[in-house]
Amino acid sequence: MSHSAAPIEMGQGPGAARHLRQAATFVAPLVVLFLCWPLLVSAFGVDARVFPGVKAVFAAAVESVSDGSLLAHVAASLGRVAAGTLLAVVVAVPLGVAMGVNAGVSAFLTPLFRFFSVLAGIAWIPIATLWFGYGFGAITFVIFNAVFFIVAYNTLLGVTAIPMRLRHAAASLGASRLAMVTEVLLPGALPNIVTGIRTGLGFAWRGLIAAEMIATNVGLGYMLFVARDFYRTEVIVLGMIVIGILWLLIDRLILAPLERATIERWGVVQRA
Amino acid sequence: MNAILEALDRYAHWAARWPVLAALAPFVPVVALWWGVAAAGVFPRAFFPAPPDVLQSFLTLTYKGILPAYLEDSIGRLAAGVSVGILLGIPLGILVGLSGVARKALWPVLLFFQAIGDIAWLPLLLIWFGFGLGTMTFVIVYTVIFPVVINTALGVRSIPPELVRAAQSLGAPRWRILTDVILPGALPNIMTGLRNGLGYGWRALIAAEIIVGTSGIGFLMFDARRAGSAVEIVLGMIVLGLLWYIVDAWILAPIERATGQRWGLVTRA
Amino acid sequence: MKSLTLRNLHKTYFDPAVGTRVTAIQDVSLEIGPGEFVAVVGPAGCGKSTILNMVAGFLPATRGDIIVGDRPVKGPGRDRGVVFQNFALLPWKTVIDNVGFGLKMRGIAKPERDRIAMEFLELAGLSHAAERYPNELSGGMQQRAGVVRALANEPDVLLMDEPFASVDAQTRMTLQEELMRIWGERRHTVLFITHDVGEAVFLADRVVVLSKGHVLREIPITIPRPRG
Ligand SMILES: Nc1ncnc2c1ncn2[C@@H]1O[C@H](COP(=O)(O)OP(=O)(O)O)[C@@H](O)[C@H]1O
Ligand SMILES: [Mg+2]
Repeated sequence: MSHSAAPIEMGQGPGAARHLRQAATFVAPLVVLFLCWPLLVSAFGVDARVFPGVKAVFAAAVESVSDGSLLAHVAASLGRVAAGTLLAVVVAVPLGVAMGVNAGVSAFLTPLFRFFSVLAGIAWIPIATLWFGYGFGAITFVIFNAVFFIVAYNTLLGVTAIPMRLRHAAASLGASRLAMVTEVLLPGALPNIVTGIRTGLGFAWRGLIAAEMIATNVGLGYMLFVARDFYRTEVIVLGMIVIGILWLLIDRLILAPLERATIERWGVVQRA
Repeated sequence: MNAILEALDRYAHWAARWPVLAALAPFVPVVALWWGVAAAGVFPRAFFPAPPDVLQSFLTLTYKGILPAYLEDSIGRLAAGVSVGILLGIPLGILVGLSGVARKALWPVLLFFQAIGDIAWLPLLLIWFGFGLGTMTFVIVYTVIFPVVINTALGVRSIPPELVRAAQSLGAPRWRILTDVILPGALPNIMTGLRNGLGYGWRALIAAEIIVGTSGIGFLMFDARRAGSAVEIVLGMIVLGLLWYIVDAWILAPIERATGQRWGLVTRA
Repeated sequence: MKSLTLRNLHKTYFDPAVGTRVTAIQDVSLEIGPGEFVAVVGPAGCGKSTILNMVAGFLPATRGDIIVGDRPVKGPGRDRGVVFQNFALLPWKTVIDNVGFGLKMRGIAKPERDRIAMEFLELAGLSHAAERYPNELSGGMQQRAGVVRALANEPDVLLMDEPFASVDAQTRMTLQEELMRIWGERRHTVLFITHDVGEAVFLADRVVVLSKGHVLREIPITIPRPRG
């Protein structure tokens, strides 16, 4: 399971000008959408309790920025994602590599990791909150296992998919065990690892928002859910926009380029 | 050490010969370990139930008709949402794939709304539709539609232009190009999109059932959470895992084998 | 069979990378009589595919006329059968369904079009592979299917763009001989594109040498058939 990279042909030309034009082409439809919003709201006379106007959202943004609450929510959410993800990747990658080295071990563990990576994320919220109580622990646990199983499973697949002749070639060139791992197995599995991180983070991010709605008192999900109790749609929409922009930045500026770089540069993995 | 390696080697061979058994066998020691830890009483029973407790709860809930009813609710919601998502997503994806103008205008919008994510819509949806089927269906449709649209569009764009040209020069009218070239050509990608969409979709369903909370497997799990009982939670997780396995192994994988793989369009990892 | 006439054909592409127009075809005129086999040769990039794609109706001409029989070309159509370099068989249709595709588009019922498609598959020695998917065939077999797919639709003119360039040398010779056998029986009007002079001389009644978008020379080939 993976997102799909998004090729979209745009203006060509050298360097910075091209990047600028690409960014403009990308942002333009969103700007149009943004301009249509107040027109639609006033044309249909939409009640502010159903959908807010631009002014109200803007005011909410100013207010929550100046009193520091938005920053606190964003920091809490990003902190949890960063902590859970980092921990998961640090544990999952070495484990995945170690498991993938031996055919017997990987044959044994593959079905298990597959099962758990299918279950990863939101389905763990009830048990996580039971075990760790409502708060940081439960949420980090949900993020951790959303990323952990998927990354470990993908690493395992990646290592298993490295052709045996590459390993033999490295061995016959005198590679030590350590060199085998750092020079052959890790780079060979890297495209899979990155794909795994991207997919896992996708599930983790959603799991985070869901968990924050249920199990905490700070974070973007919490911000949305409390606003609902008071019918403050402008805060909800502000939160949604922030969530959208944050994820777009994480996914498009970090994960997608990383994935493309590893996959296209080495062409190890054939993307379906 | 050598004996262990030999045993592992033998296991690898055995697993290659009996793939179905090899997919099940690893769960035996895991369940045994789980049972052992539970029996040793390291954790309180309510937090860490043993396999027989879960089986017992499975039988009780099935006998009372609660589990089948909840399962039916969840699957029904998922099926309704996924169907609507596919019916809207495929035509939209084909439009985006075929028309450069539509692609430039819609692609950023698609990515942005996909980035907001289904679950962040829940508070607003609850205000709009209340705690009902409307909210659930919206969330699942929303989740499924983006991967389907995006992958369908990618699939359409991956079709070699010569195939369209070949069909044209054999006298195919436009709608025939659509049914005989564009749709089958995009099918492997559509399947990928559907698979991704389902993966996100059922998670969204669980979240919605937990938060909206009237019935369904997600509700079962969270209701048990409120009562402080882990048995039904674990049962719910196992049911979800099995459900996904069935959908994946009995519906999605056979379709992929019969289409993309047979046609040589998909290289199996 | 019908004649194929190209009159004062021009084609300019807009090159977005440079932002300017580039001329690919410059004032090409060509008269191919009914049942005549004409080969166009020239180095890569000289505009061969551009000409064929305009004749096939895939690309609009910037200027000039293309006439099949007495009808000007307006777009792709079944009067001009096309054989592609990379075969362009529909991967999701079996060989027999690929060959019968044109017949299906004409509304011919399944049993009848299977019968006709089978005849053509036998002509190409492919009847044993009728139920297979293109992906399961060798390159040579795929191109045999590509050729009879065009033939089964009974076109007036056959357009072939380096059809044998992506198969191995051995297979290429076999395919050339088979093409000669089939053409000998049916005498289609053929526009054949190749970069291989030997192939052009072996197959054609007339060879047109293309260079940088215009016709350099036309050479009639008078070697009696069958040629060896
Ligand atoms: N779609 C296009 N846009 C811009 N230039 C093109 C396009 N197609 C072909 N050309 C240019 O036109 C010239 C002729 O191309 P082509 O007809 O494909 O040559 P050939 O088939 O003889 O190799 C080449 O210089 C090529 O770069
Ligand atoms: Mg060419």
